[in-house]
Amino acid sequence: MPSTTPVPALAAPAARVHESLVLEPRDVRFDWAALPLHWIPDEPMATHVINVLHLLLPEGERWFVKVFKDALPLIRDEQLREEVLGFIGQEAIHAEAHQEVLDHLLGQGLDPRPYVRQVSWLFQRVLGDKPGLSPARQRENLIERVAFVAAIEHFTAFLGNWALNSPGLDRAQADPTMLDLLRWHGAEEVEHRSVAFDLMVHLDPGYARRIRGMLVSGPLLVHLWVRGARFLLAADPTLDGRLRPTWRETGRIAKRGLLPDPVRSIRSGLRYLRPGYHPTQEGSSSQALGYLATSPAARAAAGR
Amino acid sequence: MDLSTPPPDLYGRPRADTFFRFLTAFGDRYSPALGSPLLRRNPRRPYSRPTEALQLVVTARRRVAADVVELTLADPSGGPLPGWQPGAHLRLALPSGRERHYSLCGDPADPAERSGYRIAVRHLPDGGGGSAEIHDTLHPGTRLTARRPRNGFAFCAEPAVLFLAGGIGITPLLPMVREARRNGLDWHLVHTGRSADTLPFAAELRALDPARVHQRTDDEHGGPPTGAELLAHAPRGAAVYCCGPAPMLTAVQRALDASPAASLHFERFGAAPVTDGEPFTVRLGADGPELPVPADRSALDVLREARPDLPYSCKQGFCGTCEVRLLAGAPDHRDRRLTPERRADGALLPCVSRAAAGETLVLDL
Repeated sequence: MPSTTPVPALAAPAARVHESLVLEPRDVRFDWAALPLHWIPDEPMATHVINVLHLLLPEGERWFVKVFKDALPLIRDEQLREEVLGFIGQEAIHAEAHQEVLDHLLGQGLDPRPYVRQVSWLFQRVLGDKPGLSPARQRENLIERVAFVAAIEHFTAFLGNWALNSPGLDRAQADPTMLDLLRWHGAEEVEHRSVAFDLMVHLDPGYARRIRGMLVSGPLLVHLWVRGARFLLAADPTLDGRLRPTWRETGRIAKRGLLPDPVRSIRSGLRYLRPGYHPTQEGSSSQALGYLATSPAARAAAGR
Repeated sequence: MDLSTPPPDLYGRPRADTFFRFLTAFGDRYSPALGSPLLRRNPRRPYSRPTEALQLVVTARRRVAADVVELTLADPSGGPLPGWQPGAHLRLALPSGRERHYSLCGDPADPAERSGYRIAVRHLPDGGGGSAEIHDTLHPGTRLTARRPRNGFAFCAEPAVLFLAGGIGITPLLPMVREARRNGLDWHLVHTGRSADTLPFAAELRALDPARVHQRTDDEHGGPPTGAELLAHAPRGAAVYCCGPAPMLTAVQRALDASPAASLHFERFGAAPVTDGEPFTVRLGADGPELPVPADRSALDVLREARPDLPYSCKQGFCGTCEVRLLAGAPDHRDRRLTPERRADGALLPCVSRAAAGETLVLDL
């Protein structure tokens, strides 16, 4: 059985920012055959709050890929273009990895399709291409979507950083393969945390664009998470609808280290609004790359 | 998916979902509004400019092993060069037009080195000609251009580190070794090669710390080392940084789990060279131009010359980013991503997939 241990925060000389990293996707595979429905034992609420990731990410990351592919012709810097291409490949692999978990949920009697149908509508219809717009307006829509991605990537890096520093999940004996998925994904999110932001600034350095990106996608993400958790708890065939998520209970679970603290998560979203913000100010590339050098899935990918 | 009927309620109640009705209405007003004066890119702001290539001149050349030269490259006006971190490489455009990546082997923390990049190049008689060109034609005074340093082999400065270098593979590790020493990490270096005179920087390395540098040559030991032999020097829980020929990396990967080491870092080089390739042709659209794909190049590389904005990412046939639609022709699918149904549907990954000699693949591009 693969073992995963959180990488402890590294000493001062290593905690500096890694510049100009080459980004490449990793060909990871996971075997979910043995994944229990409640992969954090006896913690259905924590399990399902994290499971919302599997509902949102396959469609969401496929949409990121589409937005960034559309944005390629607008990029005037070769290094940024290479980073964007690396980002696209990583996101494409993330989407597939989470899709497999989603398929596994269905096999366990939890039907995620009503929620996924809504998520697909969100990304393909609400945030998709609109007919009848002039080229200038299409371009503005594209840059706006990049700003949404940049804001969401702030949260994925926040969550990735949390996953890399979450000994509570190990203490609770969470499924090691799922932990590796979360930490591999989290580490790549930390690794590429600047790309979407840098692309947005490259296309539009205006502060208003950044703010709109967060003001629209931040509350939307929170709302989707809450309704996703409520949906999963209601759809879980073993719970008979007995459990309902509450902020108070979420706060208690976060104190045990099984979820990110909701207050801190919101505060992190607010930091994105600071004028001097840059994604490299949060999380550690050293820690992320250190985990990727340890991760069973990433190491197996390296041998392919 | 059906994009005309809003999604139903989450819990099966017989109505469209209220929140999604609201979201859809919001989106339908938001999108056309973008581009109006308050909701657009400020047209007075200049567009950000691309990073320029570096102009460099060779300022020094010295031999550091039997067939290895070290070059120092500086700004022609003597100004400071962009900074870099251990593990970084430089993409050089050689006078012939060849492009090659070389790891930087100087010391980025030494202020005196801010004015010169150092690279070391082994002469490979059977290589693609890049190393021969460097050995034969680059002398002090030669000018060339390069891209800014980038890093595909970042050093994370774990508390215990084992460096494994195969021959010229020492180049990216050299700056890491210096940094490990400076930071007081528990480090060891195993430097392997055919014989003592082929080990670049041997004296420099020994001078760093003779107790931590282990030089191991095939001629003294009767052959190349096994993975277990290499990893025997690892402190418990060490992070391994390995740079060397492919068989060495494979051996280390296989032996890692049974060793005291905990993790493995290595430089990833993206696309592997084409094997068993034959020349074929791609056509861009039913009536479009035809492009020949040589036996040793990928269809993607050829397509990108005609369509610079074609997306791609892994170049190894697993991420699916470069997917194109095949309109006609018999492809040789070599990816590990597409399902038989997708292939039957015309999906093709040009980063690895090819066709038989003389075949023409018509692509929807």
